[in-house]
Amino acid sequence: MTDPFAALGLPRAQALDLADLDRRLRERAREVHPDRFSRAPAPERARAAAASAALHAAHRALKDPLARAEALLALAGRSVQGARPAPEFLEAQLAAREAIARGDGADARESARVALAGCERKLAELLAPGAGVAALDGAVAALVEARFHASLLRAAGDPPATPRPGQDR
Amino acid sequence: MRRALGIDLGTTHSLVAFVDDRNRARVLDLDGSGPLVPSAVRYAASRIDVGAGARDAAASAPGEVVLSVKRLMGDGARRLHVGAAGPAGREVTPIEVSAEILRALRARAEAAFGAGELGGCVVTVPAYFDDAQRAATRDAARLAGLELLRLVAEPTAAALAFGLDARREGTFAVYDLGGGTFDLSILRLEAGVFHVLATAGDTRLGGDDLDAALADRLGLPGDPATLLAARAIREALTDRDAWEGVLPGGARARVSRAELEEAIAPVVARTLGPARRALADAGLEPSALDGVVLVGGATRTPLVRREVRALFGRAPLTDVDPDTAVALGAAIQADALERGGRDDLLLLDVVPLTLGVETMGGVVEPIVPRNSTIPARATQEFTTHADGQTGIVVHVVQGERELAADCRSVARFTLRGIPPMPAGAARVEIAYDVDADGILHVTARERTTGVGQEVHVRPTSGLTEEEVERMLVESVLRAEDDVEARALAEGRLEAAQVLAALEAGLREDAGALEPGEREAIVQRMAGVRAAAEGTDPYALRAWLSSLDEAAKGFAERRASVHLARAFQGKTVEEI
Repeated sequence: MTDPFAALGLPRAQALDLADLDRRLRERAREVHPDRFSRAPAPERARAAAASAALHAAHRALKDPLARAEALLALAGRSVQGARPAPEFLEAQLAAREAIARGDGADARESARVALAGCERKLAELLAPGAGVAALDGAVAALVEARFHASLLRAAGDPPATPRPGQDR
Repeated sequence: MRRALGIDLGTTHSLVAFVDDRNRARVLDLDGSGPLVPSAVRYAASRIDVGAGARDAAASAPGEVVLSVKRLMGDGARRLHVGAAGPAGREVTPIEVSAEILRALRARAEAAFGAGELGGCVVTVPAYFDDAQRAATRDAARLAGLELLRLVAEPTAAALAFGLDARREGTFAVYDLGGGTFDLSILRLEAGVFHVLATAGDTRLGGDDLDAALADRLGLPGDPATLLAARAIREALTDRDAWEGVLPGGARARVSRAELEEAIAPVVARTLGPARRALADAGLEPSALDGVVLVGGATRTPLVRREVRALFGRAPLTDVDPDTAVALGAAIQADALERGGRDDLLLLDVVPLTLGVETMGGVVEPIVPRNSTIPARATQEFTTHADGQTGIVVHVVQGERELAADCRSVARFTLRGIPPMPAGAARVEIAYDVDADGILHVTARERTTGVGQEVHVRPTSGLTEEEVERMLVESVLRAEDDVEARALAEGRLEAAQVLAALEAGLREDAGALEPGEREAIVQRMAGVRAAAEGTDPYALRAWLSSLDEAAKGFAERRASVHLARAFQGKTVEEI
């Protein structure tokens, strides 16, 4: 896969300053955006459009903490595919979903939010530079669980857990 | 140098602006009475009129005048009957009517600058315009003989007019309530880059709706002439507490501002939901903003200002002319593009609605999420599900709902020319490119041959429903990049196998069930079935696991029963 960190000139790490990420997008967009080539020959314009779309895709992959973790794992040769959480975890997920479907899921939502934040903290530790290969298994597990929590919150109609610009994670 | 134009093609009014020799954006006085030209087209017997004259004829010759055509843009099937009633009149599309307005604006600009002096133009669209509405606007510009450099979102253009010269920096919300559309965009302004973080809106909500609410309150019909009268009353009540005069129909009446506000409050309240969603999508609290900018004539209405102040917890900035900001920003961008780009200016806009593809069960698979920065590109891999299948139908939709039927259909494409192969062997990669105008382009290639043969993409037409049904992609397979899609596809396969096995088991080996076990299994089978029809791989995985747990005992007992039977059979044979 292509390296979104390289595309934005960032070190490969889960912790990221989102305001800085956005700033890097703006700086690089200046160089490649099609508007800068509005009077250039067609092939050059097409190249600008492709480079610009690739830059935006890299930014998308890094902006969301779970997509960022997946990108880091992929760069380390790890896939989340086929990784499954423990049966007890899945049973708990099911119970939480049923509670939300019944209309009394306030507790389930709150604990999903707390659990998701916990997974994200764990990912930041396990996917820090120098965390070592041994940490990757734990990171895969944390990412898989985080996805379940995020999916549950989406299903419950929570606003997207977009982190605040400027917040250091 | 040729003069580039910024055109604000509005629901009720349109404007043209340009950048003058001293590098300042200015609106063009189009017919001696100011910059605003009513977006009204009159199809008279011998000629077509655009502007104030056409608007004023709406009462006397309603069949000849088209108002607020912008609200019909993107409705491909829409035909308007104009001119004389019956066969003497004619049918026009909303694109043609919009093109008449643009043609008139172009003619007036040519009169001002000289015919050979016009360069390219930027036409603005509501940020929340979808693919079809943007494509219709682009087509209208082409039909009017304009060189379209770019479509720009109205709030983004307004932000440009607001922020560029003053060198403003920070995070701003633009609340744009025009004649017929509402947009709320959140932008980060930094070092000359206008970076849209999120946008939301309603393309059927504007000043027209305020006027309709007032007309309704006054017991008047909703015809165009009455709505114009209602607008005049609403505008008069901006600076005054009461209006007194003659209503259409001849009755004298008195309307207080309080009455007006009571009538329009529900309409104004409809702007708050999109505004909150844009903030949530940008991940911002209102207090994190550096300012709120009001755009669009309807934002002069005092109630609108009060609601904006309440929502954002601050007074809106007042140093922007709500009527001209969009056209001025469009002119600045048009001038930059005409010159081949500017070092100190860049607009980074987003796609307002999620683009997705219909998959199994009518469920939408998101491809390009809303608020993705454009240009954006996404690819997907599909395969065939019948032997020798040479075509695939892809249905692209736009919207935030889970079912394709609830979203706006962008296009059904037929991919033809796939070499005949066994089911599942063909690998077709489809690329979805959203360009800087926010318009989608779809390309596809077949990859098995390794040659990257182009597959023809064209809108489906002339196909029977049956053919479409047969060719519709049933599920997304082999999407290596998309873990969730793959997990879902695998889960569905597993669900189908497990459900079939358990159905057979419950039928054939009911004797192996313990009390209460059937109910537990059947209940979880229903859960698996429902989850398999949904799009959430996580819910499906949880249900599968639960079913597995509930059916474990039964499966073991069944296996031993079968084992016992097998041994018995063997014994019989040996005898």
